[in-house]
Amino acid sequence: MIGTIAAHQLRLWRRQRVAGATIAVLVALTVLAGVLGWASHRTIVGVYDESVKLLAARGLPAPANPFVRKPSLSMLSNMVVYVTLIGALVALFVGHLSVADDEADGIGRLLFSRGIRRSHYTAGKITGAAVLLGAALAACTFVSAVALTAVNRSVPPVDDLVRLVGFYVLAWLYLTVFSVVGSVGVLLAGRRSLGLLVAMGVWLAVTFAVPQFTSGLRPTQSLNPIVDPVSTSQTFFRVTRIARPYSISEQFKEAAGRILRTAPDETTLHTFGRIAPILGAALLAAAVMFRAVARHEVFRGDPDD
Amino acid sequence: MNAASTPAIELRGLRYAYDREEVLCGIDLTIDRGEIFGFLGHNGAGKTTAVNILTTLLTPTGGSATVGGFDVVAARAAVTGLIGYLPSEVRMYGHLTATENLVFFAKLSGVADPGRAAADTLAYLGAADLADRRVGTFSSGMRQRVGIAQAILHRPQVLFLDEPTAGLDPLGVRQLRETIVRLNRELGMTVFMNTHLLSEVAKVCTTIGVLSGGELIYKDSIAATVARFPDEASLEDIYVRVGSDAP
Repeated sequence: MIGTIAAHQLRLWRRQRVAGATIAVLVALTVLAGVLGWASHRTIVGVYDESVKLLAARGLPAPANPFVRKPSLSMLSNMVVYVTLIGALVALFVGHLSVADDEADGIGRLLFSRGIRRSHYTAGKITGAAVLLGAALAACTFVSAVALTAVNRSVPPVDDLVRLVGFYVLAWLYLTVFSVVGSVGVLLAGRRSLGLLVAMGVWLAVTFAVPQFTSGLRPTQSLNPIVDPVSTSQTFFRVTRIARPYSISEQFKEAAGRILRTAPDETTLHTFGRIAPILGAALLAAAVMFRAVARHEVFRGDPDD
Repeated sequence: MNAASTPAIELRGLRYAYDREEVLCGIDLTIDRGEIFGFLGHNGAGKTTAVNILTTLLTPTGGSATVGGFDVVAARAAVTGLIGYLPSEVRMYGHLTATENLVFFAKLSGVADPGRAAADTLAYLGAADLADRRVGTFSSGMRQRVGIAQAILHRPQVLFLDEPTAGLDPLGVRQLRETIVRLNRELGMTVFMNTHLLSEVAKVCTTIGVLSGGELIYKDSIAATVARFPDEASLEDIYVRVGSDAP
């Protein structure tokens, strides 16, 4: 039954062109990240080559190319931000649509008069969204690998490919949380428009507000995956440091930075520790959705329509 | 208990309250198999609430309800296997074709060959031409036919129709009436129809019940009703009389 509902949801999204749009947006972001990374690479190398020529003309020794020391996956560092900003919004919308259509068209009454279990319905909806996001991110993985190959003019080493896959698996987990939030918004608000507003409120809080309280008020960290500032002894910063694990966008950016090697190295266990809150958020969101569907008045129509 | 000997629908002291407002106030009602039952009442009388309970969408706050001898709360799965349901405003999935919609609902009902069931049901309802068209492009009448198709895909014993003629033109209403009678006579379905249109009831139903203020104030066959109120010119007059006689 779960498979039937998930497959049906995917067919519906394909027909509504939601599937194509989701994949297109995420792939476009990947391409954009790749282009920006490539442009950055070309600029640095260009400046370096010019510098080498100038230094050579003056008979001075040239320093080593700084880009050589830069991890090859750093080319995709912008993708970390795109996932938390735009990717999460796309996932939110996907999750919203999965439940909103059933709610608005009174289809829930037809479904549940047929004896399907509400838990199966919920699991089917989550599975459908997870599969769509998985497909989109698989396409992103492929595009990223191609971009890395093109820029470096060689196939990335296995270690880089494993890290690339690891990053997109982490992104999939993160985006799945937001797709569930999108569904829960409709279920709790009961109205299509209000549901989307509630879900976007959660996205805003998770992406912008919570990091402000958990990263020592560093506004730029909402936009850039930068590392910790110098530690401070002030109480406020100590408190925000304690609250930090609860900011899943922070944890995502930092774990992704470690996986892509754009952030200072740490132990694998430490990185898994950063992923744990995201996993916890996914489980919590799913639990809330199961409960919301179980208590939902399926016969209610949508006053917006 | 012999399934054939049990009533199609039985309500005993059925109650339902939204928060503190009681919508159904202890209804007793028995509907035999093979009947076409018209459930009459003003808007807000509690008809849809009763159907929501009988289709297992709502849990009653008091009393009991059985469909085909199975309790709607304790044996929900058995009940849902016996019933078909058409809500008052059925829209279905507009981006999918009629067949795709029906195949999905057939799968949910555990129909062995969903594709065949969808094709056969559409053909039975004279709607085979709608099979490959998107539901979103349909008129109200077309959508209603596909809605009925989804309700009878699995050949239920009891069919619940909630205000089925809402939004239909006169031709659509006539086609729907003919369909209801065919389903009753040819497939042996018991039909429970919520409506406030007396013209439908007089032409289709074998038995009527009148709900007012959450209480069942009248129930009898159409023939007995007309015989009982010989002075009233129409069912509408009877309905007004029954309503005004109610305590």
